[in-house]
Amino acid sequence: MRGALEAMTRGAGPALASTLGLLLLWQALAMATAGAWILASPLAVLDWAAERAGLLTRATAVTLGAAAQGFLWGNLAAMLLALVSVLVPRSERVLSALSLLAFCLPLVATGPILRVLYGPGTGPQVTLAALACCYTTHVALLVGLRAAPPGWLDLIRSYGRGRVTALLQVRAMAALPYLAAGLQIAAPAAILGAMVGEFTGAERGLGVLILRTLRGLDVAGTWAIGGIAAAAAIAAHAAVGALARRVTRAPPPVILAVAPPRPGRGPLARLAGAAGLILLVLALWWAAMEAAGLPAFFAKRPGDVWAYLATGPAAGLHRAQLLGALGQTLAIALPGYLAGLALGVGIAAALVLAPRVAGVAMPLAIALRSIPILATAPLIVLALGRGAAGGIAIVAAMIFFPTLVACLQGMRQTPAAVTDIFDSYGAPRLTRLIHAQAPAMLPAFFASARMAVPAAILAATTAEWLATGRGLGALMATVASTSDYGMLWSATALIASVAMLAWAGLARIERAVLARAAPEQLS
Amino acid sequence: MADTPPEVVCRDLACRFGELEVLAPLDLTFAAGQTTALVGPSGCGKSTLLRLVAGLETPSAGAVRIGGQSPSAVQRQGDLAIAFQEAALLPWRSLRGNVRLALRLARRPDDPAAVDRLIDLVGLTGFGEARPAELSGGMRQRATIARCLVTEPALLLLDEPFGAVDELTRLRLNLDLPRLWQARGTTTLLVTHSVSEAVLLADRILVFSDRPARVVADIPVDLPQPRAAAVTESLPYRRLVARVSDALGGGGGRLAAE
Ligand SMILES: Nc1ncnc2c1ncn2[C@@H]1O[C@H](COP(=O)(O)OP(=O)(O)O)[C@@H](O)[C@H]1O
Ligand SMILES: [Mg+2]
Repeated sequence: MRGALEAMTRGAGPALASTLGLLLLWQALAMATAGAWILASPLAVLDWAAERAGLLTRATAVTLGAAAQGFLWGNLAAMLLALVSVLVPRSERVLSALSLLAFCLPLVATGPILRVLYGPGTGPQVTLAALACCYTTHVALLVGLRAAPPGWLDLIRSYGRGRVTALLQVRAMAALPYLAAGLQIAAPAAILGAMVGEFTGAERGLGVLILRTLRGLDVAGTWAIGGIAAAAAIAAHAAVGALARRVTRAPPPVILAVAPPRPGRGPLARLAGAAGLILLVLALWWAAMEAAGLPAFFAKRPGDVWAYLATGPAAGLHRAQLLGALGQTLAIALPGYLAGLALGVGIAAALVLAPRVAGVAMPLAIALRSIPILATAPLIVLALGRGAAGGIAIVAAMIFFPTLVACLQGMRQTPAAVTDIFDSYGAPRLTRLIHAQAPAMLPAFFASARMAVPAAILAATTAEWLATGRGLGALMATVASTSDYGMLWSATALIASVAMLAWAGLARIERAVLARAAPEQLS
Repeated sequence: MADTPPEVVCRDLACRFGELEVLAPLDLTFAAGQTTALVGPSGCGKSTLLRLVAGLETPSAGAVRIGGQSPSAVQRQGDLAIAFQEAALLPWRSLRGNVRLALRLARRPDDPAAVDRLIDLVGLTGFGEARPAELSGGMRQRATIARCLVTEPALLLLDEPFGAVDELTRLRLNLDLPRLWQARGTTTLLVTHSVSEAVLLADRILVFSDRPARVVADIPVDLPQPRAAAVTESLPYRRLVARVSDALGGGGGRLAAE
């Protein structure tokens, strides 16, 4: 307890100093750029917030309430999925694919659909928050449930006990640190999901306020609400972390380093698996709409989407519209994605070459990773304008921090004995980086690159929705207001498919690279 | 079955992992109540043999019968205990908690007094509440032995149980622990790297060849039981050590560790 307190106060000194420094810098910058409609000074922001304390408190409560509900449901679903996967191993492949699909759903298109399905209220925000945290927790938990050394499970088996005992006595406990790490990532994700839900037509909440200030060119307001959202996310991240440290003794594991799923046997088996999955998803989609008895006007079935895009009267027009928008979105998402990855890897490498800086930068990066960059997207729009640059910057920022943290953590996995050998020959840091730390980083890098695919699409489409007025995001904003549900559903299906394909393609590259560079990582 | 120790019979027992043939068909019988030491070069398949007997590995051919029953039937009765090369202690349980877990898994009534007695016997008095991470490698291995013995199994399978124990403690354990299972007449299979340990503990020593393992020597150990430290000074003991070492194809009392 005392140790923890000391560690906290030790960390608090520099943190306080750097926060103060940042605030001063911010104030100075704001004063220098006054009149450019970009940066509000901290004092102006504080002033704005103080005048509307009541409104802001209510909006924050609404958003956090929706985020908390989504956090609960999403994580419960994740736990259930992971539990079933472990108890019925044959179900794992399908359950993981479904969970990934939910993660790949484009929130800007699902948001308006959920809005009409739920009617008024917080239903969409809660659902989007749940969708935003289910997959990451699911993956973390799966890794954790499998993290138990085989010897522990053999012990259980040697007394003739089965999977349930193994789960209760060994796997559940061994998975706790992983669950904690997953929940910590999920907390800010839930806030982000709730805010995107609010972007797409809620009545109250921080997301609604930030849209209003952004459209009204209210710079101080945009900064105030962006700041509140960021602070809430950091606080949620820290609170879940503190709670986790009380429950588990083990240090947080690096859960990003997950080997990609093993491909099916031959190309034919893989094709059959993919076809089976697509059929299953279509069947589930159709059955859900039928079971709920939802009218086909806004609750489109797979057949409706097919007609809308392929056989219907204006199908050609619809296709051109959708694919054109997709092209525009990819023109933002792809460069942003690559830039974010490159920056993350580059800065991680630079930090490893300068270990003193890394000691300071790592906690900062972890804290910044917890900010839902997207919730602060309006700030980037203010700063970089409504053109492609702003969109690309948002995508890159969204991907940069998780990649940086994953790469730094990955490089830390380099066995000390290996780095010691390099040091014992007095090898330069660069040599050590290239031959020891970079290969150790690869699995974490790839895992994070895969997770970044849906994130990049989410960031690009949200930026388009909020600001740039082009691409799928803008198209969704338009068709949501004109109740063109055929387009909303088509876009959802198309974007989710593109994201899944990109994810699978990356997994293949990953396996090929790891097979050469780090074969021990492939189980 | 717990009252009378079982005879263990391996009939045409073979095991392969993919292309790798680890055990060529083996016919072995381990007499009830005897301690048999298995020695052989690293990687020849000793651990695999033990895991087959424990029912943790499926033979590619042949079968294991323990007192006429299958390994899984014996598992379910909690009559079998295996200590692995690496101590498989659950890190979130105390030493005492780990030992008690065996009682629970074997569906035996909880018996705190017996748990503490065994912790004392393996020389870990006062460490009952310690977590595995707080124990040295040798202490963890001793804890595993306490866990194996607490259920009073009819068949005891020990895979290099004293590998990480320092030489002095090892000799003490070699002299003390066998009394526990020999008094009950437990059938014991012991894999060891140490020829002197094999001679000191076993009633019979099987020397295996390189993979796929075959028995190259089957040496009865006719030293009187129970054995004391003095026995290591005796001529018959030294002769046996020399015989086993010869069969292994090298001098010295101990094989290189893997
Ligand atoms: N689960 C397994 N899968 C593949 N190979 C294995 C497995 N278990 C053991 N082996 C291989 O079988 C051989 C014998 O292993 P083992 O029985 O542990 O040898 P020993 O205990 O005699 O040193 C080794 O070459 C080992 O690599
Ligand atoms: Mg072995």
